[in-house]
Amino acid sequence: MSEPNGDRGLIIQNASALVLRIGVFSSAIVMLIGIAFSFRHGTADVARMRSDGFDINLRHMCIGIIHGRGKSIIEAGILMLVLTPIMRVAASMILFAFAERDWLYAAITLGVLILTLTGLLLL
Amino acid sequence: MNAGSPILWLLEIASASFAGGVVGAISGLGGGIVIVPVLTIFMGVPINQAIGASIVSVIAVSSGAGSVYVKDRVTNVRIAMFLELSTAAGALVGAAALAPIIPARLLYILFGILLLLSLVPIFAKFGEELPENVTPDRMSRFLRLGDSYFDKRLNREIQYNVTGIPAALGIMFVAGIISGILGIGAGVVKVLAHEIAMKVPTKVSTATSNFMIGVTAAAAAGVYLRRGWVLPFLVVPVATAVLAGAMLGTIIMERLSNNMIRKIFAAALAIIGIQMLVHGLRGSL
Repeated sequence: MSEPNGDRGLIIQNASALVLRIGVFSSAIVMLIGIAFSFRHGTADVARMRSDGFDINLRHMCIGIIHGRGKSIIEAGILMLVLTPIMRVAASMILFAFAERDWLYAAITLGVLILTLTGLLLL
Repeated sequence: MNAGSPILWLLEIASASFAGGVVGAISGLGGGIVIVPVLTIFMGVPINQAIGASIVSVIAVSSGAGSVYVKDRVTNVRIAMFLELSTAAGALVGAAALAPIIPARLLYILFGILLLLSLVPIFAKFGEELPENVTPDRMSRFLRLGDSYFDKRLNREIQYNVTGIPAALGIMFVAGIISGILGIGAGVVKVLAHEIAMKVPTKVSTATSNFMIGVTAAAAAGVYLRRGWVLPFLVVPVATAVLAGAMLGTIIMERLSNNMIRKIFAAALAIIGIQMLVHGLRGSL
């Protein structure tokens, strides 16, 4: 197979795929564990499930996880999921720079990372 | 609607979301097109919470399907990275500077009309399996955007060139602005930029769009999380089922013809366009 870009980019593609796979499946498992805890503690009813919003407070989340609260475990899973694409961008940036010495694309990816984090934190 | 068994409620939402994941992974649109109407119309979920669940699930589709498409090298990672720069900048401008000025309803109407108009160039490409005689422009050569992928249906390696970078950058900036103001992934505009401006093969176009929408959705998710519009118990059935659907979608997509994927995309485009138009005119979905 002839590749216009040769083997360049292969490391980044495999690393991106790995980061995405680990991130998305581990967060799905954490969410399902959270639901299982809610059912075990009998705190799962439809009226509550339809209204109980995400609590962004990380301290509450940690305390909740220690006490085995289903909702806090689910919230941790959602945060892991939201961070997955951002971890993917960060991993590609590091690999563009240090594995491929492709400074043009390292700079482009750094720009994406900065703009995305700005959006996530400020908007 | 269903005030009874929580397990039944979870399963109802999960089955609709599974379908959303399949469609999302094949079309490169993420699946909000199925999830949001089903949650609002059939499950009685308020629109903000439905979009909140949809944004989180778009990340699941993008990451799940993305891990397959990237590994199979259908995704063009360079195009994705380069264009993400433009979308992310547009999203910031849209959310920070334009959202307070531009009325959302006007934007829905304009966006709806734009999408329905873009059906014309898509229709013109019906019947075409692969783009031919594409000459790479200067920026495309400088950025080394041309690449190849292995087409599982045609059973051969497909080399392709990329063109129209300035136009694509402009379209992606607009896509970013729309995401920033309306809080939606705007995957539909991304596919249009790849397909019409850059002339990449449809499979590369949808796989690359799928790869990019996760980053846009992650940036937009912050707003929804802080406003409490993400309901954790609603997200679990939506996100996990959509992920399972997306994994099935990747198997189907790589084996469909480019022309068939384009038809599925055109149908989705028409539905979204009409939804947006109606939403803008009536002020609700």
